[in-house]
Amino acid sequence: MIPLSYYLILTMGLYIVGMYCLATKRNVVRLVLGIEIMINAANLNFIVLSANWTEGFIDPLAHSIVMMSITLAGCISAAAFTIIIFVYRHYGTLDIRELRRLRG
Amino acid sequence: MLTLPLDLLFLFAITTPLIGWLAQKVDLPRLSGVYATLGILLSAFTAFQLLLQTLGGVVPPTPTSGLFNAYFDLDIFGSFAMVIQIGLGIAASIFSIQYMRSESGSSLYYALLIGMIGGMVGVVTAADLFTLFVFWEMMCLTSYLLVAFKNEEPEPVEAGIKYLLMSSAGSATLLFGISLLYGMTGTLNFGGLATALGHATPGPWLYIALLFIFTGFGVKAAIVPLHTWLPDAHSAAPSPISAMLSGIVIETGLLAMVRVLFTALISLQTYWSMVFAVLAVITMTLGNMTALVQDDLKRMLAYSSIGHIGYMLAGLAAGTVVGLTGTILHILNHALMKGTAFLCAGAIIYRLGSRNLADMSGLARRMPKIAVAFSIAIFALIGLPGLNGFVSKLTLFVSVADVNLAWVGIAIILNSAISAGYYLRIVRVMIETESEPSENLREAPVSMWFPIWILAILIITFGIWPDLVFNIAERAALAILSMT
Repeated sequence: MIPLSYYLILTMGLYIVGMYCLATKRNVVRLVLGIEIMINAANLNFIVLSANWTEGFIDPLAHSIVMMSITLAGCISAAAFTIIIFVYRHYGTLDIRELRRLRG
Repeated sequence: MLTLPLDLLFLFAITTPLIGWLAQKVDLPRLSGVYATLGILLSAFTAFQLLLQTLGGVVPPTPTSGLFNAYFDLDIFGSFAMVIQIGLGIAASIFSIQYMRSESGSSLYYALLIGMIGGMVGVVTAADLFTLFVFWEMMCLTSYLLVAFKNEEPEPVEAGIKYLLMSSAGSATLLFGISLLYGMTGTLNFGGLATALGHATPGPWLYIALLFIFTGFGVKAAIVPLHTWLPDAHSAAPSPISAMLSGIVIETGLLAMVRVLFTALISLQTYWSMVFAVLAVITMTLGNMTALVQDDLKRMLAYSSIGHIGYMLAGLAAGTVVGLTGTILHILNHALMKGTAFLCAGAIIYRLGSRNLADMSGLARRMPKIAVAFSIAIFALIGLPGLNGFVSKLTLFVSVADVNLAWVGIAIILNSAISAGYYLRIVRVMIETESEPSENLREAPVSMWFPIWILAILIITFGIWPDLVFNIAERAALAILSMT
Protein backbone atom coordinates (compact mmCIF):
# COMPACT_ATOMS: atom_id res chain seq x y z
CA MET A 1 0.00 0.00 0.00
CA ILE A 2 1.37 3.37 -0.98
CA PRO A 3 1.42 5.82 1.97
CA LEU A 4 -0.94 8.79 1.89
CA SER A 5 1.85 11.36 1.91
CA TYR A 6 3.00 10.31 -1.57
CA TYR A 7 -0.44 11.11 -2.96
CA LEU A 8 -0.48 14.44 -1.15
CA ILE A 9 2.92 15.31 -2.60
CA LEU A 10 1.49 14.48 -6.05
CA THR A 11 -1.56 16.76 -5.60
CA MET A 12 0.56 19.55 -4.16
CA GLY A 13 2.91 19.15 -7.12
CA LEU A 14 -0.01 19.36 -9.53
CA TYR A 15 -1.22 22.52 -7.79
CA ILE A 16 2.25 24.05 -8.09
CA VAL A 17 2.38 23.13 -11.79
CA GLY A 18 -0.88 25.04 -12.27
CA MET A 19 0.45 28.00 -10.30
CA TYR A 20 3.70 27.98 -12.34
CA CYS A 21 1.66 27.95 -15.54
CA LEU A 22 -0.30 31.00 -14.33
CA ALA A 23 2.87 32.84 -13.40
CA THR A 24 4.95 32.24 -16.52
CA LYS A 25 2.70 31.71 -19.55
CA ARG A 26 1.59 34.61 -21.73
CA ASN A 27 -1.21 33.06 -23.77
CA VAL A 28 -4.62 33.55 -22.12
CA VAL A 29 -5.82 30.09 -23.16
CA ARG A 30 -2.82 28.53 -21.39
CA LEU A 31 -3.63 30.56 -18.28
CA VAL A 32 -7.17 29.12 -18.25
CA LEU A 33 -5.66 25.64 -18.61
CA GLY A 34 -3.43 26.44 -15.62
CA ILE A 35 -6.53 27.22 -13.56
CA GLU A 36 -8.10 23.95 -14.68
CA ILE A 37 -4.97 22.08 -13.52
CA MET A 38 -5.24 23.75 -10.12
CA ILE A 39 -8.91 22.75 -9.79
CA ASN A 40 -8.03 19.20 -10.80
CA ALA A 41 -5.33 19.09 -8.13
CA ALA A 42 -7.99 19.95 -5.55
CA ASN A 43 -10.36 17.33 -7.00
CA LEU A 44 -7.66 14.68 -6.86
CA ASN A 45 -6.99 15.68 -3.26
CA PHE A 46 -10.64 15.03 -2.36
CA ILE A 47 -10.49 11.58 -3.97
CA VAL A 48 -7.22 10.71 -2.24
CA LEU A 49 -8.49 11.77 1.17
CA SER A 50 -11.85 10.02 0.78
CA ALA A 51 -10.17 6.63 1.17
CA ASN A 52 -8.21 7.78 4.19
CA TRP A 53 -10.76 7.24 6.93
CA THR A 54 -11.62 3.61 7.32
CA GLU A 55 -9.71 0.71 5.79
CA GLY A 56 -11.57 -0.56 2.73
CA PHE A 57 -14.27 2.14 2.88
CA ILE A 58 -14.47 5.06 0.47
CA ASP A 59 -16.48 8.10 1.52
CA PRO A 60 -19.09 8.86 -1.20
CA LEU A 61 -19.34 12.50 -0.03
CA ALA A 62 -15.98 13.33 -1.61
CA HIS A 63 -16.98 11.74 -4.89
CA SER A 64 -20.20 13.72 -5.13
CA ILE A 65 -18.22 16.85 -4.30
CA VAL A 66 -15.79 16.11 -7.13
CA MET A 67 -18.65 15.59 -9.60
CA MET A 68 -20.05 19.03 -8.71
CA SER A 69 -16.61 20.56 -8.82
CA ILE A 70 -15.92 19.22 -12.33
CA THR A 71 -19.20 20.80 -13.47
CA LEU A 72 -18.18 24.12 -11.95
CA ALA A 73 -14.76 23.93 -13.64
CA GLY A 74 -16.56 23.41 -16.93
CA CYS A 75 -18.67 26.51 -16.29
CA ILE A 76 -15.57 28.55 -15.51
CA SER A 77 -13.81 27.55 -18.69
CA ALA A 78 -16.96 28.21 -20.74
CA ALA A 79 -17.18 31.73 -19.30
CA ALA A 80 -13.45 32.22 -19.77
CA PHE A 81 -13.47 31.22 -23.44
CA THR A 82 -16.51 33.43 -24.10
CA ILE A 83 -14.58 36.42 -22.80
CA ILE A 84 -11.38 35.30 -24.60
CA ILE A 85 -13.21 35.39 -27.95
CA PHE A 86 -14.09 39.04 -27.32
CA VAL A 87 -10.52 39.75 -26.18
CA TYR A 88 -9.27 38.43 -29.52
CA ARG A 89 -11.81 40.50 -31.45
CA HIS A 90 -10.77 43.73 -29.73
CA TYR A 91 -7.04 43.28 -29.36
CA GLY A 92 -6.17 40.84 -32.15
CA THR A 93 -3.90 38.90 -29.79
CA LEU A 94 -4.15 36.45 -26.92
CA ASP A 95 -1.00 37.66 -25.18
CA ILE A 96 -1.94 38.80 -21.65
CA ARG A 97 0.93 41.31 -21.63
CA GLU A 98 -0.54 43.10 -24.66
CA LEU A 99 -3.75 43.80 -22.72
CA ARG A 100 -2.68 47.04 -21.11
CA ARG A 101 -5.33 49.56 -21.98
CA LEU A 102 -6.25 49.88 -18.30
CA ARG A 103 -3.49 51.32 -16.18
CA GLY A 104 -2.81 49.21 -13.13
CA MET B 1 -36.92 23.68 -1.87
CA LEU B 2 -34.06 25.80 -0.59
CA THR B 3 -34.78 28.82 1.59
CA LEU B 4 -37.65 30.97 0.36
CA PRO B 5 -35.72 34.11 -0.79
CA LEU B 6 -33.28 31.90 -2.67
CA ASP B 7 -36.09 29.99 -4.37
CA LEU B 8 -37.65 33.23 -5.54
CA LEU B 9 -34.31 34.52 -6.84
CA PHE B 10 -33.74 31.33 -8.84
CA LEU B 11 -37.28 31.44 -10.22
CA PHE B 12 -36.87 35.02 -11.41
CA ALA B 13 -33.35 34.43 -12.74
CA ILE B 14 -34.70 31.68 -14.98
CA THR B 15 -37.87 33.45 -16.09
CA THR B 16 -36.40 36.92 -16.75
CA PRO B 17 -34.91 35.97 -20.18
CA LEU B 18 -38.33 34.58 -21.20
CA ILE B 19 -39.97 37.85 -20.20
CA GLY B 20 -37.23 39.68 -22.10
CA TRP B 21 -38.04 37.68 -25.21
CA LEU B 22 -41.73 38.53 -24.82
CA ALA B 23 -40.85 42.19 -24.23
CA GLN B 24 -38.96 42.22 -27.50
CA LYS B 25 -42.04 40.87 -29.30
CA VAL B 26 -44.37 43.53 -27.89
CA ASP B 27 -41.69 46.27 -28.07
CA LEU B 28 -41.52 47.20 -24.37
CA PRO B 29 -37.75 47.42 -23.73
CA ARG B 30 -38.06 48.14 -20.00
CA LEU B 31 -40.40 45.26 -19.17
CA SER B 32 -37.67 42.76 -18.24
CA GLY B 33 -36.08 45.32 -15.89
CA VAL B 34 -39.37 45.99 -14.13
CA TYR B 35 -40.05 42.26 -13.87
CA ALA B 36 -36.60 41.56 -12.42
CA THR B 37 -36.95 44.42 -9.93
CA LEU B 38 -40.30 43.04 -8.79
CA GLY B 39 -38.68 39.64 -8.29
CA ILE B 40 -35.88 41.07 -6.18
CA LEU B 41 -38.41 43.12 -4.16
CA LEU B 42 -40.46 40.00 -3.47
CA SER B 43 -37.35 38.12 -2.41
CA ALA B 44 -36.26 41.02 -0.19
CA PHE B 45 -39.66 40.97 1.49
CA THR B 46 -39.36 37.27 2.35
CA ALA B 47 -35.74 37.77 3.46
CA PHE B 48 -36.84 40.56 5.80
CA GLN B 49 -39.51 38.29 7.25
CA LEU B 50 -36.88 35.60 7.84
CA LEU B 51 -34.70 38.16 9.62
CA LEU B 52 -37.61 39.13 11.88
CA GLN B 53 -38.27 35.44 12.59
CA THR B 54 -34.66 34.70 13.51
CA LEU B 55 -34.53 37.83 15.67
CA GLY B 56 -37.69 36.68 17.44
CA GLY B 57 -36.02 33.37 18.23
CA VAL B 58 -38.27 31.32 15.95
CA VAL B 59 -36.52 28.46 14.18
CA PRO B 60 -36.74 29.53 10.55
CA PRO B 61 -38.11 27.16 7.92
CA THR B 62 -34.99 25.66 6.39
CA PRO B 63 -35.42 22.42 4.46
CA THR B 64 -35.79 19.66 7.05
CA SER B 65 -36.04 16.65 4.80
CA GLY B 66 -35.27 15.54 1.30
CA LEU B 67 -32.47 16.52 -1.01
CA PHE B 68 -31.34 19.74 0.62
CA ASN B 69 -31.56 18.63 4.23
CA ALA B 70 -28.78 20.09 6.41
CA TYR B 71 -27.14 22.14 3.68
CA PHE B 72 -28.66 25.45 4.76
CA ASP B 73 -28.72 27.05 8.14
CA LEU B 74 -30.38 30.36 8.87
CA ASP B 75 -28.98 32.25 11.82
CA ILE B 76 -29.11 35.98 12.57
CA PHE B 77 -25.75 36.51 10.85
CA GLY B 78 -26.91 34.86 7.63
CA SER B 79 -30.31 36.50 7.48
CA PHE B 80 -28.93 39.96 8.30
CA ALA B 81 -26.30 39.67 5.54
CA MET B 82 -28.99 38.36 3.20
CA VAL B 83 -31.17 41.44 3.78
CA ILE B 84 -28.19 43.74 3.02
CA GLN B 85 -27.37 41.86 -0.18
CA ILE B 86 -30.88 41.73 -1.58
CA GLY B 87 -31.56 45.31 -0.43
CA LEU B 88 -28.63 46.73 -2.38
CA GLY B 89 -29.72 44.51 -5.27
CA ILE B 90 -33.08 46.34 -5.38
CA ALA B 91 -31.36 49.72 -5.68
CA ALA B 92 -29.02 48.49 -8.42
CA SER B 93 -31.89 46.88 -10.30
CA ILE B 94 -34.14 49.98 -10.23
CA PHE B 95 -31.17 52.08 -11.35
CA SER B 96 -30.45 49.67 -14.22
CA ILE B 97 -33.92 50.06 -15.75
CA GLN B 98 -32.89 53.41 -17.21
CA TYR B 99 -29.12 52.88 -17.31
CA MET B 100 -29.17 49.63 -19.31
CA ARG B 101 -32.15 50.63 -21.47
CA SER B 102 -30.14 50.96 -24.69
CA GLU B 103 -28.16 47.75 -24.18
CA SER B 104 -29.04 44.76 -26.32
CA GLY B 105 -29.87 41.65 -24.35
CA SER B 106 -30.67 43.54 -21.17
CA SER B 107 -32.85 40.67 -19.95
CA LEU B 108 -29.70 38.51 -19.76
CA TYR B 109 -28.13 41.28 -17.70
CA TYR B 110 -30.98 41.06 -15.19
CA ALA B 111 -30.80 37.27 -15.12
CA LEU B 112 -27.08 37.50 -14.29
CA LEU B 113 -27.71 40.20 -11.68
CA ILE B 114 -30.33 38.08 -9.92
CA GLY B 115 -28.02 35.08 -10.20
CA MET B 116 -25.24 37.05 -8.53
CA ILE B 117 -27.55 38.06 -5.65
CA GLY B 118 -28.68 34.43 -5.35
CA GLY B 119 -25.08 33.26 -5.16
CA MET B 120 -24.30 35.73 -2.39
CA VAL B 121 -27.40 34.74 -0.40
CA GLY B 122 -26.35 31.10 -0.71
CA VAL B 123 -22.84 31.89 0.52
CA VAL B 124 -24.03 33.49 3.75
CA THR B 125 -26.74 30.92 4.53
CA ALA B 126 -24.80 27.73 3.71
CA ALA B 127 -24.27 25.31 6.58
CA ASP B 128 -21.65 23.34 4.75
CA LEU B 129 -18.33 24.39 3.22
CA PHE B 130 -18.98 22.76 -0.12
CA THR B 131 -22.46 24.28 -0.46
CA LEU B 132 -20.74 27.57 0.29
CA PHE B 133 -18.24 26.84 -2.48
CA VAL B 134 -20.92 26.04 -5.07
CA PHE B 135 -22.75 29.31 -4.38
CA TRP B 136 -19.40 31.08 -4.26
CA GLU B 137 -18.68 29.94 -7.81
CA MET B 138 -22.15 31.00 -8.87
CA MET B 139 -21.49 34.49 -7.51
CA CYS B 140 -18.04 34.62 -9.16
CA LEU B 141 -19.17 33.37 -12.59
CA THR B 142 -22.04 35.83 -12.85
CA SER B 143 -19.83 38.69 -11.72
CA TYR B 144 -17.19 37.92 -14.39
CA LEU B 145 -19.86 38.00 -17.07
CA LEU B 146 -21.41 41.18 -15.67
CA VAL B 147 -18.05 42.99 -15.61
CA ALA B 148 -17.50 42.06 -19.26
CA PHE B 149 -21.14 42.73 -20.19
CA LYS B 150 -20.49 45.70 -22.49
CA ASN B 151 -18.48 43.49 -24.82
CA GLU B 152 -18.46 45.97 -27.71
CA GLU B 153 -15.86 48.05 -25.85
CA PRO B 154 -12.31 46.80 -25.13
CA GLU B 155 -11.96 47.96 -21.51
CA PRO B 156 -14.73 45.84 -19.91
CA VAL B 157 -13.51 42.76 -21.78
CA GLU B 158 -9.92 43.30 -20.64
CA ALA B 159 -11.03 43.92 -17.05
CA GLY B 160 -13.29 40.86 -17.23
CA ILE B 161 -10.55 38.46 -18.33
CA LYS B 162 -8.08 39.76 -15.74
CA TYR B 163 -10.74 39.49 -13.04
CA LEU B 164 -11.63 35.96 -14.17
CA LEU B 165 -8.03 34.73 -14.18
CA MET B 166 -7.19 36.08 -10.73
CA SER B 167 -10.47 35.23 -9.09
CA SER B 168 -10.77 31.68 -10.41
CA ALA B 169 -7.18 30.96 -9.42
CA GLY B 170 -8.35 32.10 -5.97
CA SER B 171 -11.37 29.79 -6.14
CA ALA B 172 -9.17 26.83 -7.07
CA THR B 173 -6.93 27.64 -4.10
CA LEU B 174 -10.00 27.80 -1.87
CA LEU B 175 -11.15 24.39 -3.10
CA PHE B 176 -7.72 22.95 -2.31
CA GLY B 177 -7.94 24.37 1.21
CA ILE B 178 -11.43 22.92 1.64
CA SER B 179 -10.13 19.50 0.55
CA LEU B 180 -7.43 19.70 3.22
CA LEU B 181 -10.03 20.52 5.90
CA TYR B 182 -12.08 17.56 4.64
CA GLY B 183 -9.02 15.34 4.89
CA MET B 184 -8.45 16.36 8.50
CA THR B 185 -12.02 15.89 9.74
CA GLY B 186 -14.03 13.82 7.25
CA THR B 187 -16.85 16.37 7.29
CA LEU B 188 -17.49 19.79 5.80
CA ASN B 189 -20.39 20.85 8.01
CA PHE B 190 -19.52 24.00 9.99
CA GLY B 191 -20.77 22.45 13.22
CA GLY B 192 -18.78 19.27 12.60
CA LEU B 193 -15.64 21.24 11.70
CA ALA B 194 -15.99 23.30 14.87
CA THR B 195 -16.26 20.26 17.12
CA ALA B 196 -13.46 18.39 15.33
CA LEU B 197 -10.95 21.21 15.09
CA GLY B 198 -12.16 23.85 17.54
CA HIS B 199 -10.41 22.65 20.67
CA ALA B 200 -7.68 20.40 19.31
CA THR B 201 -4.06 21.55 19.25
CA PRO B 202 -3.35 22.79 15.72
CA GLY B 203 -1.18 20.58 13.55
CA PRO B 204 0.93 21.70 10.59
CA TRP B 205 -1.79 20.79 8.07
CA LEU B 206 -4.17 23.25 9.70
CA TYR B 207 -1.69 26.06 9.04
CA ILE B 208 -1.47 25.04 5.38
CA ALA B 209 -5.27 24.87 5.14
CA LEU B 210 -5.47 28.35 6.72
CA LEU B 211 -3.04 29.70 4.13
CA PHE B 212 -5.00 28.22 1.20
CA ILE B 213 -8.43 29.26 2.48
CA PHE B 214 -7.25 32.73 3.40
CA THR B 215 -5.76 33.23 -0.08
CA GLY B 216 -8.92 31.95 -1.73
CA PHE B 217 -11.27 34.30 0.12
CA GLY B 218 -8.70 37.09 0.16
CA VAL B 219 -8.60 37.39 -3.63
CA LYS B 220 -12.33 38.06 -3.71
CA ALA B 221 -12.22 40.34 -0.67
CA ALA B 222 -9.33 42.34 -2.26
CA ILE B 223 -6.98 42.18 0.72
CA VAL B 224 -3.86 44.01 -0.33
CA PRO B 225 -1.36 41.72 -1.97
CA LEU B 226 -4.32 40.19 -3.84
CA HIS B 227 -6.22 43.35 -4.78
CA THR B 228 -4.86 44.15 -8.26
CA TRP B 229 -7.97 43.04 -10.17
CA LEU B 230 -10.30 45.33 -8.24
CA PRO B 231 -9.73 48.84 -9.67
CA ASP B 232 -9.89 47.56 -13.27
CA ALA B 233 -13.02 45.48 -12.77
CA HIS B 234 -14.89 48.06 -10.70
CA SER B 235 -14.21 50.94 -13.05
CA ALA B 236 -14.91 49.05 -16.28
CA ALA B 237 -18.17 47.39 -15.16
CA PRO B 238 -21.58 49.07 -15.70
CA SER B 239 -22.17 51.46 -12.78
CA PRO B 240 -24.96 49.52 -11.02
CA ILE B 241 -22.68 46.46 -11.15
CA SER B 242 -19.82 48.53 -9.71
CA ALA B 243 -22.14 49.45 -6.87
CA MET B 244 -22.95 45.78 -6.29
CA LEU B 245 -19.33 44.61 -6.59
CA SER B 246 -17.97 47.29 -4.35
CA GLY B 247 -20.91 47.45 -1.98
CA ILE B 248 -21.44 43.80 -1.21
CA VAL B 249 -19.65 41.23 -3.42
CA ILE B 250 -16.18 41.85 -2.00
CA GLU B 251 -17.68 41.96 1.50
CA THR B 252 -19.26 38.57 0.88
CA GLY B 253 -15.68 37.29 0.71
CA LEU B 254 -15.16 38.64 4.21
CA LEU B 255 -18.46 37.22 5.48
CA ALA B 256 -17.59 33.76 4.18
CA MET B 257 -14.12 34.08 5.70
CA VAL B 258 -15.70 34.96 9.08
CA ARG B 259 -17.74 31.74 8.99
CA VAL B 260 -14.68 29.56 8.36
CA LEU B 261 -12.31 31.42 10.67
CA PHE B 262 -14.61 31.26 13.67
CA THR B 263 -15.45 27.56 13.26
CA ALA B 264 -12.74 25.45 11.65
CA LEU B 265 -9.76 27.71 12.28
CA ILE B 266 -10.66 29.07 15.72
CA SER B 267 -7.72 27.25 17.34
CA LEU B 268 -5.31 29.43 15.31
CA GLN B 269 -6.96 32.69 16.39
CA THR B 270 -3.91 34.23 18.07
CA TYR B 271 -1.96 33.56 14.88
CA TRP B 272 -4.41 34.90 12.29
CA SER B 273 -5.54 37.88 14.33
CA MET B 274 -1.96 39.20 14.24
CA VAL B 275 -1.72 38.61 10.47
CA PHE B 276 -5.04 40.40 10.00
CA ALA B 277 -3.95 43.36 12.08
CA VAL B 278 -0.89 43.88 9.87
CA LEU B 279 -2.86 43.29 6.66
CA ALA B 280 -5.62 45.66 7.81
CA VAL B 281 -3.16 48.51 8.21
CA ILE B 282 -1.43 47.78 4.88
CA THR B 283 -4.76 47.41 3.05
CA MET B 284 -6.32 50.63 4.34
CA THR B 285 -3.15 52.69 3.85
CA LEU B 286 -2.45 51.46 0.31
CA GLY B 287 -6.10 51.81 -0.74
CA ASN B 288 -6.41 55.37 0.52
CA MET B 289 -2.96 56.48 -0.68
CA THR B 290 -3.56 55.20 -4.23
CA ALA B 291 -7.00 56.79 -4.32
CA LEU B 292 -5.36 60.18 -3.69
CA VAL B 293 -3.69 60.24 -7.10
CA GLN B 294 -6.63 59.06 -9.24
CA ASP B 295 -8.39 61.32 -11.74
CA ASP B 296 -11.00 58.78 -12.81
CA LEU B 297 -14.02 59.02 -10.49
CA LYS B 298 -14.89 55.30 -10.53
CA ARG B 299 -11.25 54.25 -10.07
CA MET B 300 -11.00 56.57 -7.08
CA LEU B 301 -14.10 55.02 -5.50
CA ALA B 302 -12.75 51.53 -6.26
CA TYR B 303 -9.49 52.24 -4.43
CA SER B 304 -11.45 53.71 -1.54
CA SER B 305 -13.29 50.35 -1.32
CA ILE B 306 -9.91 48.68 -0.71
CA GLY B 307 -9.37 51.16 2.11
CA HIS B 308 -12.72 50.25 3.66
CA ILE B 309 -11.92 46.52 3.41
CA GLY B 310 -8.92 47.42 5.60
CA TYR B 311 -11.21 48.93 8.26
CA MET B 312 -13.38 45.80 8.25
CA LEU B 313 -10.31 43.56 8.64
CA ALA B 314 -9.39 45.51 11.77
CA GLY B 315 -12.59 44.26 13.42
CA LEU B 316 -11.72 40.68 12.46
CA ALA B 317 -8.25 41.15 13.91
CA ALA B 318 -9.80 42.13 17.23
CA GLY B 319 -11.94 38.98 17.08
CA THR B 320 -14.16 40.02 19.99
CA VAL B 321 -17.92 40.61 20.02
CA VAL B 322 -17.32 44.35 19.63
CA GLY B 323 -14.92 43.81 16.74
CA LEU B 324 -17.25 41.52 14.85
CA THR B 325 -20.16 43.88 15.50
CA GLY B 326 -18.07 46.68 14.02
CA THR B 327 -17.21 44.59 10.97
CA ILE B 328 -20.80 43.55 10.30
CA LEU B 329 -22.08 47.09 10.91
CA HIS B 330 -19.43 48.52 8.60
CA ILE B 331 -20.42 46.02 5.91
CA LEU B 332 -24.00 47.32 6.10
CA ASN B 333 -22.90 50.95 6.19
CA HIS B 334 -20.36 50.51 3.42
CA ALA B 335 -23.01 48.87 1.25
CA LEU B 336 -25.22 51.95 1.72
CA MET B 337 -22.44 54.53 1.32
CA LYS B 338 -20.56 52.98 -1.58
CA GLY B 339 -23.83 51.93 -3.22
CA THR B 340 -24.95 55.57 -3.19
CA ALA B 341 -21.56 56.82 -4.36
CA PHE B 342 -21.28 54.42 -7.30
CA LEU B 343 -24.90 54.92 -8.36
CA CYS B 344 -24.34 58.72 -8.27
CA ALA B 345 -21.19 58.23 -10.35
CA GLY B 346 -23.30 56.16 -12.74
CA ALA B 347 -25.94 58.89 -13.03
CA ILE B 348 -23.23 61.49 -13.69
CA ILE B 349 -21.57 59.29 -16.33
CA TYR B 350 -24.97 58.65 -17.90
CA ARG B 351 -25.53 62.40 -18.43
CA LEU B 352 -21.94 63.56 -18.90
CA GLY B 353 -20.45 60.63 -20.82
CA SER B 354 -17.10 60.98 -19.07
CA ARG B 355 -15.50 59.43 -16.00
CA ASN B 356 -12.87 62.11 -15.64
CA LEU B 357 -13.17 64.15 -12.46
CA ALA B 358 -12.03 67.36 -14.17
CA ASP B 359 -15.03 67.30 -16.53
CA MET B 360 -17.47 67.40 -13.64
CA SER B 361 -16.80 70.94 -12.48
CA GLY B 362 -19.87 72.92 -11.54
CA LEU B 363 -22.05 69.86 -11.82
CA ALA B 364 -24.02 70.63 -8.65
CA ARG B 365 -25.89 73.48 -10.36
CA ARG B 366 -27.23 71.24 -13.11
CA MET B 367 -27.79 68.02 -11.15
CA PRO B 368 -28.60 69.18 -7.59
CA LYS B 369 -30.38 65.99 -6.48
CA ILE B 370 -27.47 63.77 -7.47
CA ALA B 371 -24.86 66.18 -6.10
CA VAL B 372 -26.51 66.41 -2.66
CA ALA B 373 -26.91 62.63 -2.34
CA PHE B 374 -23.32 62.14 -3.50
CA SER B 375 -22.10 64.61 -0.86
CA ILE B 376 -24.04 62.80 1.88
CA ALA B 377 -22.41 59.51 0.83
CA ILE B 378 -18.97 61.13 0.74
CA PHE B 379 -19.32 62.70 4.20
CA ALA B 380 -20.46 59.31 5.53
CA LEU B 381 -17.46 57.61 3.89
CA ILE B 382 -15.11 60.06 5.60
CA GLY B 383 -16.85 59.28 8.88
CA LEU B 384 -18.42 62.58 9.91
CA PRO B 385 -20.46 62.29 13.14
CA GLY B 386 -24.20 62.09 12.52
CA LEU B 387 -23.83 59.83 9.51
CA ASN B 388 -23.62 56.04 9.61
CA GLY B 389 -19.93 55.67 8.71
CA PHE B 390 -18.95 57.34 11.98
CA VAL B 391 -20.78 54.79 14.13
CA SER B 392 -19.14 51.73 12.63
CA LYS B 393 -15.67 53.30 12.46
CA LEU B 394 -15.97 54.25 16.13
CA THR B 395 -17.03 50.68 16.99
CA LEU B 396 -14.04 49.30 15.08
CA PHE B 397 -11.70 51.75 16.81
CA VAL B 398 -13.02 50.83 20.26
CA SER B 399 -12.70 47.11 19.50
CA VAL B 400 -9.04 47.25 18.45
CA ALA B 401 -8.19 49.57 21.35
CA ASP B 402 -9.70 47.01 23.74
CA VAL B 403 -7.39 44.19 22.70
CA ASN B 404 -4.07 46.08 22.79
CA LEU B 405 -3.98 46.76 19.06
CA ALA B 406 -4.09 50.53 19.52
CA TRP B 407 -1.75 51.04 16.56
CA VAL B 408 -4.45 49.66 14.26
CA GLY B 409 -6.89 52.14 15.80
CA ILE B 410 -4.48 55.00 15.16
CA ALA B 411 -4.12 53.80 11.57
CA ILE B 412 -7.93 53.91 11.19
CA ILE B 413 -8.04 57.53 12.35
CA LEU B 414 -5.07 58.61 10.21
CA ASN B 415 -6.57 56.89 7.19
CA SER B 416 -9.91 58.62 7.70
CA ALA B 417 -8.00 61.91 7.59
CA ILE B 418 -6.11 60.89 4.43
CA SER B 419 -9.31 59.73 2.77
CA ALA B 420 -10.91 63.14 3.40
CA GLY B 421 -8.25 64.49 1.02
CA TYR B 422 -9.67 62.78 -2.04
CA TYR B 423 -13.32 62.55 -1.01
CA LEU B 424 -13.57 66.28 -0.44
CA ARG B 425 -11.93 66.88 -3.81
CA ILE B 426 -15.02 65.34 -5.44
CA VAL B 427 -17.30 67.72 -3.50
CA ARG B 428 -15.10 70.70 -4.37
CA VAL B 429 -15.15 69.88 -8.08
CA MET B 430 -18.92 69.49 -8.02
CA ILE B 431 -19.65 72.87 -6.39
CA GLU B 432 -16.96 74.82 -8.28
CA THR B 433 -18.27 78.06 -9.75
CA GLU B 434 -15.37 79.15 -11.98
CA SER B 435 -16.27 77.19 -15.09
CA GLU B 436 -19.71 76.81 -16.61
CA PRO B 437 -20.98 73.19 -16.75
CA SER B 438 -21.71 71.84 -20.20
CA GLU B 439 -25.03 72.93 -21.71
CA ASN B 440 -26.77 69.61 -22.22
CA LEU B 441 -26.19 68.46 -18.62
CA ARG B 442 -29.47 68.11 -16.75
CA GLU B 443 -30.97 66.28 -13.78
CA ALA B 444 -30.91 62.48 -13.91
CA PRO B 445 -34.25 60.71 -14.55
CA VAL B 446 -36.51 59.65 -11.66
CA SER B 447 -35.63 55.97 -11.85
CA MET B 448 -32.01 56.97 -11.17
CA TRP B 449 -32.31 59.48 -8.36
CA PHE B 450 -35.07 57.58 -6.58
CA PRO B 451 -32.94 54.54 -5.50
CA ILE B 452 -30.04 56.89 -4.77
CA TRP B 453 -32.15 58.95 -2.39
CA ILE B 454 -33.58 55.88 -0.66
CA LEU B 455 -30.01 54.81 0.15
CA ALA B 456 -29.02 58.37 1.15
CA ILE B 457 -31.98 58.62 3.56
CA LEU B 458 -30.95 55.28 5.09
CA ILE B 459 -27.41 56.67 5.56
CA ILE B 460 -28.80 59.59 7.58
CA THR B 461 -31.29 57.41 9.47
CA PHE B 462 -28.70 54.88 10.60
CA GLY B 463 -26.37 57.76 11.45
CA ILE B 464 -28.83 59.46 13.78
CA TRP B 465 -30.42 56.31 15.22
CA PRO B 466 -27.66 53.67 15.07
CA ASP B 467 -29.56 51.56 17.63
CA LEU B 468 -31.89 50.48 14.82
CA VAL B 469 -29.18 48.23 13.41
CA PHE B 470 -26.51 48.12 16.12
CA ASN B 471 -28.33 45.50 18.20
CA ILE B 472 -28.98 43.30 15.19
CA ALA B 473 -25.30 43.48 14.22
CA GLU B 474 -24.31 42.62 17.78
CA ARG B 475 -26.61 39.60 17.85
CA ALA B 476 -25.23 38.51 14.46
CA ALA B 477 -21.73 38.70 15.94
CA LEU B 478 -22.85 36.65 18.95
CA ALA B 479 -24.39 34.08 16.57
CA ILE B 480 -20.99 33.68 14.89
CA LEU B 481 -19.09 33.42 18.18
CA SER B 482 -21.53 30.82 19.54
CA MET B 483 -20.87 28.49 16.59
CA THR B 484 -17.89 26.85 18.25
